[in-house]
Amino acid sequence: MLCDKCKKNEATVHIKEFHNGKCTDLHLCNDCAGAAGQDIGGAQEIGFNLAEVLFNVNQIAEKISASDRKKTPAEKKSCPVCSWTADDIRHHDGKVGCPECYKTFQNLIKQAIAQVQRGSLHLGKRPKGAKNDSPAVKRNELNSLKKELQDLITREEYEAAAICRDRINILKAELEIIEDGGEK
Amino acid sequence: MTAANVDELLKNPVSFLDDSGPDDDIAISSRIRLARNLQKFPFPEAASAEVMQEVCEIVSAAACNSSSLGGENMLVFYPDQMNALDREILLERRLASRDFIRKPETRRLFVCPDESCSLMVNEEDQLRLQTIRPGSQLREVWKSIDAIDNDIGRHLQYAFDEQLGFLTSCPTNVGTGMRASVMLHLPGLVLTGQIAPTIQGINKLRLAVRGIFGEGSDNWGNLFQISNQNTLGESETKIIDELDSVIHQLIMQEKNARRTLLENNRYAILDHVGRSYGLLRHSYKLGFEEAMQSLSGLRIGVDMGLFSSIDIHKVNELFIKIGPAHLRKSHEGEYPDDALDIFRAALCRDTLRQLA
Repeated sequence: MLCDKCKKNEATVHIKEFHNGKCTDLHLCNDCAGAAGQDIGGAQEIGFNLAEVLFNVNQIAEKISASDRKKTPAEKKSCPVCSWTADDIRHHDGKVGCPECYKTFQNLIKQAIAQVQRGSLHLGKRPKGAKNDSPAVKRNELNSLKKELQDLITREEYEAAAICRDRINILKAELEIIEDGGEK
Repeated sequence: MTAANVDELLKNPVSFLDDSGPDDDIAISSRIRLARNLQKFPFPEAASAEVMQEVCEIVSAAACNSSSLGGENMLVFYPDQMNALDREILLERRLASRDFIRKPETRRLFVCPDESCSLMVNEEDQLRLQTIRPGSQLREVWKSIDAIDNDIGRHLQYAFDEQLGFLTSCPTNVGTGMRASVMLHLPGLVLTGQIAPTIQGINKLRLAVRGIFGEGSDNWGNLFQISNQNTLGESETKIIDELDSVIHQLIMQEKNARRTLLENNRYAILDHVGRSYGLLRHSYKLGFEEAMQSLSGLRIGVDMGLFSSIDIHKVNELFIKIGPAHLRKSHEGEYPDDALDIFRAALCRDTLRQLA
């Protein structure tokens, strides 16, 4: 059996993972397993589920780059900022080239995130002074949060729902101030 | 900025091993790292040397204008101007990652004087900020790193998306960009054979378990790092609370395992501790793995009160001092490969003689 990652060497490391009731198998050669699971040497951590990330991201990127191969170079989708293609992402173990890649390869990244993350909406801290105070951005976020709140309630994740609700209330209050012509 | 020298680090003990912290008989240290990137710049993997250099300068200016990384006393390391041995010292002291020191060009490292916080520039992400403290105190570590992040962030425009949060080179870090971990010493669970099912249980909670030196070193010194995997869809405090409750349970489980060992296998555990002490106190050649295992055995003995004169922090420090780079650094010159085992044994003998 050939290695799932490099497709060249014989796979000698076999990883089986169960996630959400689904079983995924990952078969790697010694080199790729070594590179992917290289030691954390004290400070570096491997903060992701190796089998899932390599298997799923590579599978998705493989599909895109397979369809890319039929296209001429000009037709291939590449990031306008860093010029990375789906092939580049695959060759870098699912890493992307720049912040803009998150927009360019939105579908690919969305699928990867769905596989490795618990949620799809950021509920953590925000950078101080983030330039996000235009009413349009706030309204957009408000709509997304409302949808997310419904999802969280359906999934009975009440703690996250409470955080989401609080953010909705803050945003509503901020929008009211802006729309009343008060301070921004 | 003047380049710092690793000798400045070696003068002082590592604060997270030297100071006391909650539950530090079992929890050695708590660490949080945050991944951040700048708007409008490609991530390091896709960036040219010129861009990486520019990022270095921008982040340096921000670090210098912030007081939270030690202010005037902040240490700045330029990995490309350091020799390989000195870079390995940074790795063994948990200030830099293997990847970071392997490709030292256009990278920079800022460290506060007591080594409790550090900032790698141009690792996988442009900024990798870390704070580390002794014992189990993730919430306090979060408060500290959150403040440092705000302080440095005042001078930078981070790549941030309303939906996805902080944008990172790898989508597995997107959102909070936070990885929190606690290093636990779990010899009781290992000796009672409970470690495998325990790790399986932890993995089901989508937390990662690693040995101190990663794959293939899972049992070295019976030290395990437990960390969160999820970074999106939950707030930092929720992730930390969940991890913290698992850590708390593991500490209780370890205490129970040690109690069971003492009740049911008293002589087996005493023998294990005694042999570990004997090896460290009387060997003339000690391999790295063997030394780690023996230190683990000695540590249980100290925790159980069998060695009243031995300070646990001195044992903790040995875990770092017996590392190959630290040994080479204190014995500069040419010598055969097995000389490290001889140096390691001598260091352990001398340290224990002084403590006895």
